[in-house]
Amino acid sequence: MRLISLIFLVIILFSCKKDEPQPVVDETLQSGMAVLCEGLFQQNNSSMSWVNFSDNAVTNSLFIAKTNRQLGDTGNDIQRYGGKIYIVVNISSTIEVMDASTFTSLKQIEMIEAGTAKQPRSIAFSGSNAYVSCFDGYVDVIDTASLTVIQRIAVGSNPEGLTISNNKLYVSNSGGLNAPVMDSTVSVIDLATHTETQKIVVGKNPGGMITDQDGDVYVITRGDYAAIPSRMVRIDSQNDAVAEQFSFDVSSVSAMNNKFLVTYYDYSSSQSNVGLFNPSTETLENPSYLDMSNVTTAYGVQYNPFRNLIYLADAMNFTNTGYVREFDISGNYVQSFHVGLNPSKVIFYE
Amino acid sequence: MVFITIIALFFSLSAYGQQDTIQQVEEVVVRHSFSHIVIPDRRVRTVISEDQIRELQPNDLGELLRKISGANLKSYGGLGGLKTVSMRGLGANHTAIVVDGFGVQNSQTGQVNLGQIQTENLVGVASTKGKTWSSSIPVSSQLSGSSILIQSFENTFMKDDTLGVRASVKYGSFNRTDAYLGVKYNPKKVMLSAYGGIRKASGAYPYQFENGLQTIDAVRQNNDYEDLNFGGTFGLNYHNKAFRVGYKQKEIKQGLPGAVILYNQTQNEHLATSEKNVFSDFSYWNSRFSLRLHASATQNNLMYSDPDYLNTIGGIETEYVNRSLSAGLSARYYLNGFTVFAGTEEFVADLIVNDSLFAEPVRFHNYSILGLLMDKRKIAARIHVSTQYVSERNNNGENAPDRFRFNPFVSFTAGEFSKHSKHIFWYRNSFRMPTFNELYYNNIGNNLLLPEDAHQFNYGISVVPIAKKLDVHIRSNVFVNLVKNKIVAVPTQNLFVWSMQNIGKTRVYGLELMTDINWKLTKKWKIQVILNYTYQRTLDYTDETSPTYKHQVAYIPVHTGNFDLSVHFNKTGLRLSNYAVSKRYSLNENVPQNEVEGFLVTDISLFHTFQFNEKQHLNLQFNVKNIFNQSYAYIRSYVMPGTNYLISVSYAFN
Repeated sequence: MRLISLIFLVIILFSCKKDEPQPVVDETLQSGMAVLCEGLFQQNNSSMSWVNFSDNAVTNSLFIAKTNRQLGDTGNDIQRYGGKIYIVVNISSTIEVMDASTFTSLKQIEMIEAGTAKQPRSIAFSGSNAYVSCFDGYVDVIDTASLTVIQRIAVGSNPEGLTISNNKLYVSNSGGLNAPVMDSTVSVIDLATHTETQKIVVGKNPGGMITDQDGDVYVITRGDYAAIPSRMVRIDSQNDAVAEQFSFDVSSVSAMNNKFLVTYYDYSSSQSNVGLFNPSTETLENPSYLDMSNVTTAYGVQYNPFRNLIYLADAMNFTNTGYVREFDISGNYVQSFHVGLNPSKVIFYE
Repeated sequence: MVFITIIALFFSLSAYGQQDTIQQVEEVVVRHSFSHIVIPDRRVRTVISEDQIRELQPNDLGELLRKISGANLKSYGGLGGLKTVSMRGLGANHTAIVVDGFGVQNSQTGQVNLGQIQTENLVGVASTKGKTWSSSIPVSSQLSGSSILIQSFENTFMKDDTLGVRASVKYGSFNRTDAYLGVKYNPKKVMLSAYGGIRKASGAYPYQFENGLQTIDAVRQNNDYEDLNFGGTFGLNYHNKAFRVGYKQKEIKQGLPGAVILYNQTQNEHLATSEKNVFSDFSYWNSRFSLRLHASATQNNLMYSDPDYLNTIGGIETEYVNRSLSAGLSARYYLNGFTVFAGTEEFVADLIVNDSLFAEPVRFHNYSILGLLMDKRKIAARIHVSTQYVSERNNNGENAPDRFRFNPFVSFTAGEFSKHSKHIFWYRNSFRMPTFNELYYNNIGNNLLLPEDAHQFNYGISVVPIAKKLDVHIRSNVFVNLVKNKIVAVPTQNLFVWSMQNIGKTRVYGLELMTDINWKLTKKWKIQVILNYTYQRTLDYTDETSPTYKHQVAYIPVHTGNFDLSVHFNKTGLRLSNYAVSKRYSLNENVPQNEVEGFLVTDISLFHTFQFNEKQHLNLQFNVKNIFNQSYAYIRSYVMPGTNYLISVSYAFN
């Protein structure tokens, strides 16, 4: 009965699951960076990578190593506040709250409303509250002590970015799911009353937002990905009116001390570029701040104040695993770290 | 966000990881095959008979085609799940489906959803990996290389008898109920047939899903399924002419369970499909010459809805109407061991979508072939040239430019190394046109896409050793395929903006081994074994600097195998059916994060036939699928059902 032996051989061959080596991560995280990798839509492959700066070692399963389970589908934002780290997972519709130093799971907040996923996008903090923009048209208020959603504030359609200034919360309403007729407004929420007081018209498809040291609010209006380019707009938070529209292309912005790192694409050459913007003088001081010769797709840039270095998330061609590239503050390329699929945001540890 | 949804569509349906493949297997010319059951030469073609189909009880044609060597199935679920099959791992767009001599096409996605083609009323399925010349197959299917020919009960003329009946009732796991009735009345020269069938299931199957080091147990939601299939045919059958005209309709309503998303089980998408088809053909033949004229018209309405879509109107409802018309002519003339054949077919299709931004394409596609077949006793050679001319219009935007392709094909068969073996070699150059989605889909389509080109080389040996009680066929093929201008979805500006581009180049190296054994131990005992194994290395040769250079292309397993064992004692039997694939990668980069585990699925069926008299019998059967309750998936996050059973009772008269 050689046939039966053959069957068993085949069963064994295909049923044997290779035991994956368990990733080893330090008990307490320090002197390194945690990288959020988005993964791809509906592939459940969002992940976190840990880069240890003392030996430049990279672990690509930080989240699984600490929680024994996966992060989920499309992690979109990660922020640190009050000793905790909040990861906003868009398609799994959850918010993972971790202890900042040990990276152990404190709570997983489910963001489902009446059988429909709220699809959270970004998070911002003020006082004891966390504010999360949800694609179903609301900003959820989460109490950071109990880690529960205490209120929903109605805003525009498909809210994306959030920023706080002058005791107000500004939320960009992208309207992205109504393409091509996208939204063009920023909702202003009074933090004392938790209600939307007005909408400011800024430009098509507004996304990321940031506040400078003078309290000005900047929002990126991404346009229609075709004829209308992606630009930055400044709002004066004293009178909540559009003060200025900048004429250079910008896709994303992050803070470096009192300046901004602005990432933008040159569509004709499909080259990425990182510039240095001065929000006090409102000028682009250096349009080509970083040496881009090793970069394929700049998906995000952040400044690490602990090491005085700049880190750029390179998503490569979006379907291959990406890199985080290190630059000094003169813009010179230093080294790269091979991380997960579509790295976007980083949390730095001293 | 909307673009991400569109990308998911593409990931699910077509471009990424798909390649062209055309397999070539010689076919011995079978005359009059359109009117009778196709019984091709088993030395070169895989044939699945009516009995085997009944023993296997596949949910649909997709599940049945796994049994064929070289077939690569992508299944998104059990009953009702989207299924596409590509032969030799290269591109479902190149596998033509031929039902009773009429081609079934889908110009929107380029791939026929085999989850929507039932096997209930089939009397035979043959896989002709490659060019097969036969009057019964339309030219368009000949040129697409790999063809799956299916023959149904209601469209096959009967030889002697006047009345034929097929009826069946089934009940199975997850509230599955089926009923089917087919009647064929064929007195003398006239044939009238009609059939109708319904199927329903709740589809709520339990499954297991790995989440890191934890295992989740859950039940598949929003997976209900209901379909209705009916039709009728009128035919005339004289000694040298035959005519058929018929109508078919299918209505399918189903919930789309979608990918299993960790921590988020809200899923409410629905799909309703309605397809109406009218077909007709006329054939004439004599000892030297045969001719066939055929025409068919189809309208396919697809209504997709997602009430959870977070736009301001509270959901999306899109309707796609795909109409197509085809007409063709094939002729053959035989003289002294030489056959000259020629044919042409015109295929017209359009697509209307209730979305003002969507293109309104109309395609005119002409397929023509001219060839010569030389068939002497020891050697057979075939050479043909085929042309395809595609012309497009777009009533809402730019249209793709006209395309003309000229494709040669050459094959040699040597049959007399020993009395029982045959050697085959062939080379083919072919292409596949981009689909409507690839050319015109809002913001993603690229109407300047070039067709994908492929060169294929195949060398095969088949052996039929003769032993008294043992009937054995052994076949093996070694193949190399080179594909250029592969159409792939690539992100351009950011994760939200993708487009279709011709940037791929792939090479396929493969080997197929098949054996088919029928062993009559005694008058009462019979054993049948089907064993096949396919090895395919499908490698990305697009860009030397790319991290995926020489990596195995997404969703193509290196090893695939089938092992079926049937034991019959008189009228009772037991069948053990095994299907195994090795590890695959969900994206082109062969890294551990992208691994989708290999699996082995075992099914078992027990059956008994009550033979009332010579003409009628009742078959009682009990199937258990996935008896070892394996948790497996063809596509990442689309978990398949665990153990499930099906009881079926079927009656046949003639």
